[in-house]
Amino acid sequence: MTDARPIRLGTTAELTIATPEGVLFRLPLAGPACRLYAMLLDVVIVLATVNGLGLLVYWIFSKAPGFGVMVVTLAEFAIGFAYSALLEGFWNGQTIGKRLFHLRVIDQTGLPLRIEQAWVRNLMRVFDALPFAYLVGGISALSNPLMQRFGDRVAGTLVIRQTPLVAPGEEFWTRQKYNSFMDYPSIAMKLRRAATPELASLIQDALRRRNELAPYARREIYRELATYLQCEISPFPDELVEMLSDEQYLTNAAGVLFVDQRLSRVQR
Amino acid sequence: MILDLERFQIQAKQRWNGLESLLAMLEGRPDHKLNPAEAEQLQELYTQAAADLNRVTHGALAPELRRYLERLVARAYAELYYIPPARFSLWQWRRWLRIFTAFPETFRRQSRYFALAVLITALGGAMGGLAVRYDPASVDLLLPADYLRDPGKRVHAEEKGERRHVNSAQIEAAFSAKLITHNIEVSLLAAALGVTFGIGTALLLFENGVLLGAVAVRYAQQGFGLFAAAWLLPHGVFEIPSMLIAGQAGFYLARLLLRRREDRDMRQSMREWLVLIAGLALMLSWAGIMEAFFSQHHEPELPYAFKLAIGGAEFVLLTVYLAAIGRRKPHVPLEAK
Repeated sequence: MTDARPIRLGTTAELTIATPEGVLFRLPLAGPACRLYAMLLDVVIVLATVNGLGLLVYWIFSKAPGFGVMVVTLAEFAIGFAYSALLEGFWNGQTIGKRLFHLRVIDQTGLPLRIEQAWVRNLMRVFDALPFAYLVGGISALSNPLMQRFGDRVAGTLVIRQTPLVAPGEEFWTRQKYNSFMDYPSIAMKLRRAATPELASLIQDALRRRNELAPYARREIYRELATYLQCEISPFPDELVEMLSDEQYLTNAAGVLFVDQRLSRVQR
Repeated sequence: MILDLERFQIQAKQRWNGLESLLAMLEGRPDHKLNPAEAEQLQELYTQAAADLNRVTHGALAPELRRYLERLVARAYAELYYIPPARFSLWQWRRWLRIFTAFPETFRRQSRYFALAVLITALGGAMGGLAVRYDPASVDLLLPADYLRDPGKRVHAEEKGERRHVNSAQIEAAFSAKLITHNIEVSLLAAALGVTFGIGTALLLFENGVLLGAVAVRYAQQGFGLFAAAWLLPHGVFEIPSMLIAGQAGFYLARLLLRRREDRDMRQSMREWLVLIAGLALMLSWAGIMEAFFSQHHEPELPYAFKLAIGGAEFVLLTVYLAAIGRRKPHVPLEAK
């Protein structure tokens, strides 16, 4: 397994939940950057609301501007705190900003958050926002494996990413008529055994994003991956490898990894 | 075990789609309530999806399918295991009124943290007072604002009404809103600083105490004790206790965080903390109104004795409210039930 370390994809933090039925599932956590963007959007919405309201209030209190200032100051303060708390509490953990950035606040047990949690985590912002620009909250989130700011730690909540997912469809390498790697079942089996899920999904991504990569980058990435597989994981015979391009090598490897073996044997 | 992924997906696709559409329907409901038929269907589809996820996790190299199933299982799990709160609507005003009895009840239940806040503030007050009394050099350091350092001028100006304007009600209104929001923010910070295991809360209370003690002694020293009492009491009898309650909430939070994770009843504790915050916000709203509209009027407009009497009456009412309103039954922790 040490082989896998250099190409390990440490891209996202995750929360693993074990259900009472003994099933494990993972939830991808949201990083501080997209949370910041969502918050900035919410700030813009709140400011727009308050200013719109302010114009109306000043117009109503045009004879008594002092009372207008009083109403607007209090409304601004109340809306500032209540906006996130009420929306998150009653809208399943989402504000408008969070919804647009595909984020959701949940209880750290994987269940929806409760109203009191929404209030606690939002009132705790006065501490997280210290000394400026959410520095305390940001440091807390970066130093915590669950990426919680202090408000989240106290309320027992966390923010997850929730991009829409569709069930995966058929991949082109499953349609390969002939895979020369299958002629060497013992080496192919070695590849299947030694490849970590991270390595497998790296190969999958590299092939799938073929047309998004610049030709130079594609050549380099495919060469590196193919060399790595050939040297470290599954040394197929040189006479076979010499005939294959790096891309074909990876397509064959993906075929070995992702296509059912029994099926391939039948095809052969 | 190696799955025949393609066949597996074709067979399972229908039930995954069924679960997806059921979840989409349930998630659209605000109250998260299921009827028995839906619960049964959800339970069945959830169990199947969970079993599918287990097979994919342990028997196949299909990271995308695994992610998809994890997502499906996570959503179903949340719908199935979440216990929705009792129906609560923003428009049920009776439930909002409950805060007026819940606040003194919570205050009494957690009174030892209030006592701690009082102790720290009193220590600060004593420090500030003694420093000003015996070390005149400390005055500049402890009382940075001119009007605090040199009460004579301020009292003179206030009593002559120099600082008052023609349409003072307007200015007082704007001033009260500033006071209310500022005070609530500071109190909220004191309560939130509980996450520093109470150290931040203690420092804030101590600093507050030092300032109070120093001002009180400075004004008394120069013979303006009556003026200061009449100036500060009408709003101070609400403002100072609410700062102490903020400290109480902070220490309560600190104690909670110092407890072992298994011993915490987070749900109940969060409610208690929130009730304290809501209560002190109400108290500070009253204090802000009094400070802007009443405290700033001095003799000869308003006799000091009258202002002191109002302050005293407020104090008695507040004490009776906090000590006697609501249920007297002691709180039984959930784990003991």
